[in-house]
Amino acid sequence: MPDREQDEKLFIRLADRTGLGSMPARPAPSRLKARIYSALMLRESASKELRSIPETKAQGGKLCVFEELVRIAPVSAKTKSLNICRLCHARVLGEALEKPPIYWANCPYVEFKRS
Amino acid sequence: MAKPQQAAARGAGSVSSQEGPPGEDTRLAAAILDGDRKATAEFVSRYTDGLYRYVFTRLAPRTDLVEDLVQEVFLAAWEHLASFRGQSSLEGWLLGIARHKVEDHYRTHLRAPLSVEEEPEADDWSLAPDLDEKLDEERLRERTARVLDGLPEAYRLALLWRYWEKCPAQEMAMRTGKTEKSIERLLARARQRFRRNWQDA
Repeated sequence: MPDREQDEKLFIRLADRTGLGSMPARPAPSRLKARIYSALMLRESASKELRSIPETKAQGGKLCVFEELVRIAPVSAKTKSLNICRLCHARVLGEALEKPPIYWANCPYVEFKRS
Repeated sequence: MAKPQQAAARGAGSVSSQEGPPGEDTRLAAAILDGDRKATAEFVSRYTDGLYRYVFTRLAPRTDLVEDLVQEVFLAAWEHLASFRGQSSLEGWLLGIARHKVEDHYRTHLRAPLSVEEEPEADDWSLAPDLDEKLDEERLRERTARVLDGLPEAYRLALLWRYWEKCPAQEMAMRTGKTEKSIERLLARARQRFRRNWQDA
């Protein structure tokens, strides 16, 4: 049997030379990003009112085509603060597929697919 | 909540390649707390890859657990975001949370009764990795990852926690509720199996 101290030293050296930060790993799946974003949005919208879509735009946020529709629609201010991604098919596709067939600009689920 | 300095001190690495200018992190955190959906998307976009890499290298090949754990990190971060003061970077702060989650995983698995077989008492010192040999760093890393992946889970986690995360055996014992002697025994078996598998990897 090898000497315990010698054994310890060997593994310490091996770990130093092969730090976990440099071990092979792949990037996160886009559907994981989609699921995390959905989960965060669900919690945020349950805990308080989200920043409204017109306000988001006023502060420089880029809106997707559906958010833009909600922004100009004659609906209540409360509706303009809803988490409308919850109702969007892009969310469903983004959470389920690695390459979801969604392509329009400024949709977070489309951006996750690209990242 | 983990302290970001701990992660930095133990060489946890970088989570994001898109670190913003100073103050950018606090702006992002404040915007998320203010219910800004675009900021939340940016938060996920910016940090998921790095956190995934961090967790993946520590839990592989249990990739089924990696995704759940990364999501847990984000949910925990969101719950405690109001306590983020910007004294350190957001990535360091997130790494601190990830580190705690990974250690919870190690602890839970090593705390359970271990069903690891006795290793044969062969003198297999000659099978050990020869670190003095001129080995290409990339190949050494790949081979090490392959051998670790092929070990029984308790062996793999024990070696990762002790040598790659640099947690003393005494601390491992304290955190798993086991005796130091039983942790040392587990480590000895794990090292022995690692050496045996090294030749075949």
